[in-house]
Amino acid sequence: MLLFDILLPGLVLGGMYALIALGLTLQYGVARIMNLSYGESLVAAAFGALSLYSGLHLSPLAALLLAVPIAVLLNWLLYRLLLERLARRGKDSGGQEIDSILVTFGVLFVIQGIMLVAFGGQYYSYSYLSIPVVILGSTLAVNRLAALAFAAVIGVAVYLALTRTRIGTAVRAIAVDANAARLVGIDVRALAGLAFAFGGGLVAAGGVLVSMFLTFNASMGVIFTMKALVVVIMGGVGNVMGALVAGLLLGVVETAVARLVDPGLTLAATYALFLAVLLIRPTGLFGRASS
Amino acid sequence: MKRETRIVIWSIGLAAASAVIAFPFYANGYYLALGISILYFTVLATAWAIFSGPTRYISLATAAFFGIGAYTAAVTAETLPWPLVLLAAAGVGAVVAAITGLSTLRLSGIYFVIFSFGLAEFIRQLVIWYEVNVHKSVGRYLFSDVTQDVLYWQLLGLVVLVLSAAWLLKRSRYGLALRAIGADETAARHSGIDATVVKLLAFVLSAVFMSVTGAAMAPRWTYIDPAIAFNPMISFQVVIMALLGGANSLFGPLLGVIPLVLLFEVLTAALPNHFSIVLGAIFVFIVMALPQGVMGILEDWWRWVGGDRAAPVAVFRRARSHGATLFCGRPKVGIGADTGPLLAVDAVSKSFGGLRAVEKVSFKVGRGQIIGIIGPNGSGKTTLLNVLSGALAPSSGTIRFAGTLINSLPAHRIARLGLARTFQLVRVMPGLTAAENVAAAALFRATSTKAGEAHETIQKLLALVGLGAARETPAGELTYIDQKRLELARALALEPRLVLLDEWLAGLNPSELETGIALIAQLRDSGLTIIMVEHVMDAIRALCGHCIVMNSGGVIAEGSPEQVLADPKVVTAYLGDGDA
Repeated sequence: MLLFDILLPGLVLGGMYALIALGLTLQYGVARIMNLSYGESLVAAAFGALSLYSGLHLSPLAALLLAVPIAVLLNWLLYRLLLERLARRGKDSGGQEIDSILVTFGVLFVIQGIMLVAFGGQYYSYSYLSIPVVILGSTLAVNRLAALAFAAVIGVAVYLALTRTRIGTAVRAIAVDANAARLVGIDVRALAGLAFAFGGGLVAAGGVLVSMFLTFNASMGVIFTMKALVVVIMGGVGNVMGALVAGLLLGVVETAVARLVDPGLTLAATYALFLAVLLIRPTGLFGRASS
Repeated sequence: MKRETRIVIWSIGLAAASAVIAFPFYANGYYLALGISILYFTVLATAWAIFSGPTRYISLATAAFFGIGAYTAAVTAETLPWPLVLLAAAGVGAVVAAITGLSTLRLSGIYFVIFSFGLAEFIRQLVIWYEVNVHKSVGRYLFSDVTQDVLYWQLLGLVVLVLSAAWLLKRSRYGLALRAIGADETAARHSGIDATVVKLLAFVLSAVFMSVTGAAMAPRWTYIDPAIAFNPMISFQVVIMALLGGANSLFGPLLGVIPLVLLFEVLTAALPNHFSIVLGAIFVFIVMALPQGVMGILEDWWRWVGGDRAAPVAVFRRARSHGATLFCGRPKVGIGADTGPLLAVDAVSKSFGGLRAVEKVSFKVGRGQIIGIIGPNGSGKTTLLNVLSGALAPSSGTIRFAGTLINSLPAHRIARLGLARTFQLVRVMPGLTAAENVAAAALFRATSTKAGEAHETIQKLLALVGLGAARETPAGELTYIDQKRLELARALALEPRLVLLDEWLAGLNPSELETGIALIAQLRDSGLTIIMVEHVMDAIRALCGHCIVMNSGGVIAEGSPEQVLADPKVVTAYLGDGDA
């Protein structure tokens, strides 16, 4: 049935988008760094999973255990060595934001360049758990369902960590107002670095999971950055539930456009949706109006 | 400068200019191609800096407009003569820039960056879709008789044009307006600057140059497809070049273009596979190590050596038109009647969602009065001022200023009508000097100002508020109190008839308070009408003939300070119930 043919793959795709966007909303919402090399980290993780799978026959799901800690560490280093310096340079927040955008541009090109040297420009994919199953009359591969299940588990774990733990509450406090958080004794510097690092861990998880069922190449990171941004902005910066709903919505809209209109126009659809949200509700679908 | 030195400098300049113009006659193909690269990146980077330099809106839309130009050329070159092709490209670029600008220039920071980046991708996808489904082939051949030599001269002409445009813009009041917008858009709007229009014009101007460059470059490829025309790398290269040189000075982008084009040339030859790694590393290095660009370093060095600061103040020395009085009391022609109250507020309400911050407030203000608005924190005083000054639109009710209905007029229109304000949380334009802060308002008020007189007005106003010695100090470096003084000078530069002071006296020490009160009294005596929100009761008693007391959004008492302060309702509002 056409409806389910659109809805089910759409929801699977959307679930992945939500997971990817979750990492970005942690990085941008808490550490106030708009990380434009975000999609490149994702593709790098996907290449890592591919290498482990084809080289060592390591299951991508096991590769998560390796990829996530490495990504956390690398992102923490990136924050400490480069991005934090910008914050200490003492410009106003607008200037800092622009500087962080520009620095992560540079990082984007460096990561992309390394991947181009290592893997070239061609498309890659590998076959893992690609067993078709039929659900509600439409066919899906097991790897997609496994990816979705893992994404759900990770997403719920992050949500609980943010809402039910002391550190999570402190992190959310920084997202609301970093200066006020400082006043109640929260170590903003350390926690912002931590949030940035874990945001990087989430994107690596997303990259590994996506690699199980999508074809990818070294220069498509930007597309993921765009999509993650669209989801974050639609959901409202720092809003976890908003990111989930917006991610699912984007997945369904994309699948619908690809099925009903033209597969070549998915990115245009993403962009049109993004513009519409920005112009009509700049604080996001679920964001509060700023006074 | 001695006559001989001047002659030497002119001769060197002329020789260099002729060497540049005659370049195609003596350069071989390789160097000519290099020269072409330098020229077209110079146009792009300078055009980029026209908009993004002063406003600090980082635009990645260069590839979009460059591609639009190249594609327009590819489509029209067969049917139109070449000059018309260039004009068509300029036209299409301007239209696209105007449409996208109108809908998106209210975005700032990261939103604008992403929007502008997405624009190139979006247009590219649409073009591909159109070519595949309608034109039935993706690439287009472009045959024209434009040789490399002619291309070089065309681009050289464009460089001259774009540099002249940037230079003229910088010297005009619109250049100052763009910098004011980049420093603090809200403050700029309240200084009478129509930020939307100014930003849009700069964006369109910059886009036109980019599109024409795209069209001029199109014959170089012979075969054009969307991937070539809308290559996103161009956007990044232009940003990094402008930043390296310094986006805020005229020749900054040029200074960045030359070394980077040469470097990229060497890189593509020596390390073709590592190009983007090196590009990325340079990007990181420039942002981390050279935040102000090469020009910034040169300027610092120049100042350190003891040279004069390149005088941006020249802007208002050259402003146009007729004379002006110091402030206020000017005859207003055509705007409303001069009888009746100056300001009539009738049943004005403002709510945010369910919160009614201002509820059915009505009052009238006569000419030459000082009205005090007092009330406990959170009673809606600042929201009321925001509604009056156009920072917020009222939810209901009417506001008439000198008979003109100003409900929901944009802030810059209200400012130009002669209703100026200061902000409770002080808003100066930090990167501009004190004099430029005042000049921004002086040059955008309704009655235009003559060259020397604007200069004089600014000097007088700064002296009036006690900042006479700080005219060349960047506003961001002034103390908090001095920033408040500067805000008042800026408000007065609009030649207002009514000034709204939002806790202007808060935080002053006793002697400063005395000076402040005397200054406000002096302003009233010269005919200015003032509404002041204030917690300093001494000032209220000394200055205000009439007081309005607000509590939880509504007016609870009105009258002379003595009357209202004795009113039991007012006492309750401030101190709570007696038996609580």
